[in-house]
Amino acid sequence: MKPVIALTKGRLEKQFLQFFKSLDYDVEPLLDKGRKLQIETSQFSFFFAKGVDVTTYVENGIADLGVVGGDTLIEHKPDVYNLFPLPFGQCRMALATKANYEWPNRKKRIASTFTNITKDYFKEKGESVDIIRLEGSVELAPILGLADAIVDIVETGTTLKENGLVIEDEFLSFSARLIANRSSLKVKRDQLVPVIERFKEGARKK
Amino acid sequence: MFLPAGSQDETGVQIANRLKASEIFRKVTEKRNFKAISTPVVEYAHTFTNKIAGMDLQSMLKWFNSEGEIEVLRPDWTAAVARAIAKQHPSFQKWAYQGSVFRIDKDGTESRQAGIEIVHADPFLGESECLLTAVDYLKNIDINNYVIELGHTRIFEQMIAPLQLNQKEEEALRSAMYDKRMDLVEDLLINHSSEIKQDLVSLIDAYGGKEVISQYEIVWADQPELLSILDHIRKLIELLESTGLSEIIVDLGRVKNLPYYDGIMFRGFITKDGSTCFSGGRYDRLYRQFEQETSAVGLAFDVDLLAQHMITENSLSRGCIIAAPETHAIAEKYRSELPEDIVDIQYKLENEAVYHTVYEVIRENNQYKVVRK
Repeated sequence: MKPVIALTKGRLEKQFLQFFKSLDYDVEPLLDKGRKLQIETSQFSFFFAKGVDVTTYVENGIADLGVVGGDTLIEHKPDVYNLFPLPFGQCRMALATKANYEWPNRKKRIASTFTNITKDYFKEKGESVDIIRLEGSVELAPILGLADAIVDIVETGTTLKENGLVIEDEFLSFSARLIANRSSLKVKRDQLVPVIERFKEGARKK
Repeated sequence: MFLPAGSQDETGVQIANRLKASEIFRKVTEKRNFKAISTPVVEYAHTFTNKIAGMDLQSMLKWFNSEGEIEVLRPDWTAAVARAIAKQHPSFQKWAYQGSVFRIDKDGTESRQAGIEIVHADPFLGESECLLTAVDYLKNIDINNYVIELGHTRIFEQMIAPLQLNQKEEEALRSAMYDKRMDLVEDLLINHSSEIKQDLVSLIDAYGGKEVISQYEIVWADQPELLSILDHIRKLIELLESTGLSEIIVDLGRVKNLPYYDGIMFRGFITKDGSTCFSGGRYDRLYRQFEQETSAVGLAFDVDLLAQHMITENSLSRGCIIAAPETHAIAEKYRSELPEDIVDIQYKLENEAVYHTVYEVIRENNQYKVVRK
């Protein structure tokens, strides 16, 4: 049976394909996949899912390997081997608020998709805050008055700037990572180790 | 009515397989001279959360009792058995247990385990008996395609000893090793010699067949403590191979996931899907909380998982006797004439296809008799 690799849909998917091609793997079936969520190449079975779901599939052994953002791994802490960083998907985690914002004299309200990362960040600072979980367009929260600030991923900073937000603090940087199911790595080691080594070598060269 | 998340009903084959797995476990351990032990389902949280047992209270089902103390549903057998037998005379003992454990960090809140604990035994004897019992048991429940993995807690501990890390640094490094997170291991050792950094990064990948031991016998040629650990693992592998088992792997970079592990660690993976069917190891230090210096080793099987992988046998013939309220007693009497079969009684035949043979009670010459339909 071919190794099964779970890929994060969207931005990471495109960057992964470039990386994968640079390792001289067959990418043709992946380029014209249309809306298909499962693709077979000559060497692998791929499927595509949201980042957090990639970790769930790998943790439960449905996929042997997975490519997922470091932010997802820090936020959800899946029980997987978190092998090494890949040379794409570089981002930072930042606390941002409106330009020249005057912080109110009360407990802060922070909006984020990454509630665990936010909790750990303020715990480390020794500050109690109320965290509001949002699923997307987090930048709206300070603008519309739902929260004082946000904790979110920043890649170039353009989205923040266009929405009148400024970075107060940057506290984590990460990239896409290769993860592996804990049992697969041992039981299918003859199949997986050459792939992992090739990924590792490719990541080192970049 | 609904079930809480993590709880589930069971029916049919899964129950039959689980009961069969339990009964075979009882027989196998009885024949190997293990004595059965059972501990209560409700225990004080402290039994599992004390500094030595080190389990996480958050993952337990818990409540306050009337005296304000935290009680839990048993989350782990090993710590419970240690509490139960700690006050007994310190002599060679072999214990076998079966029952549920309850954890809220798993998919199912309740899971069934069957396990063994060997205390006050010669260390190699105890470990050998654990592993050979696992092999014996899996053979008896017809699970033949599995891989046994061996690791040792002291490899990592020995290698980091010269670094003199504080507890927080050691835990961070152990966690990075546990996740095989190469880049973080490098980062955490940035202020240490490149040699030790490289050695630990290489250790992450030190898993595979027994050739890994041969490789590391060369790498650690001038480190007698590490060589002695390799020798110990090799002897266990040779013992397992003598039973005909060929799928044995080692992971020299494996670190303990429970604080009380202290020495050899073992796991069994089902080859088909990689699921972990048993795990265990040496945990002498668990008994130090009871002021005992002893040798203690054990392992636990995931009985639910074994039940899923057991082959279902339908070798018994299945028959049905069609009767009526007034002939039910005749049908029941006839049942005893089919002692090797599974026999149903129905008043109106349903699901005929599931029966190999159908009988009916008829009246002939003023007498009832059972005939094949």
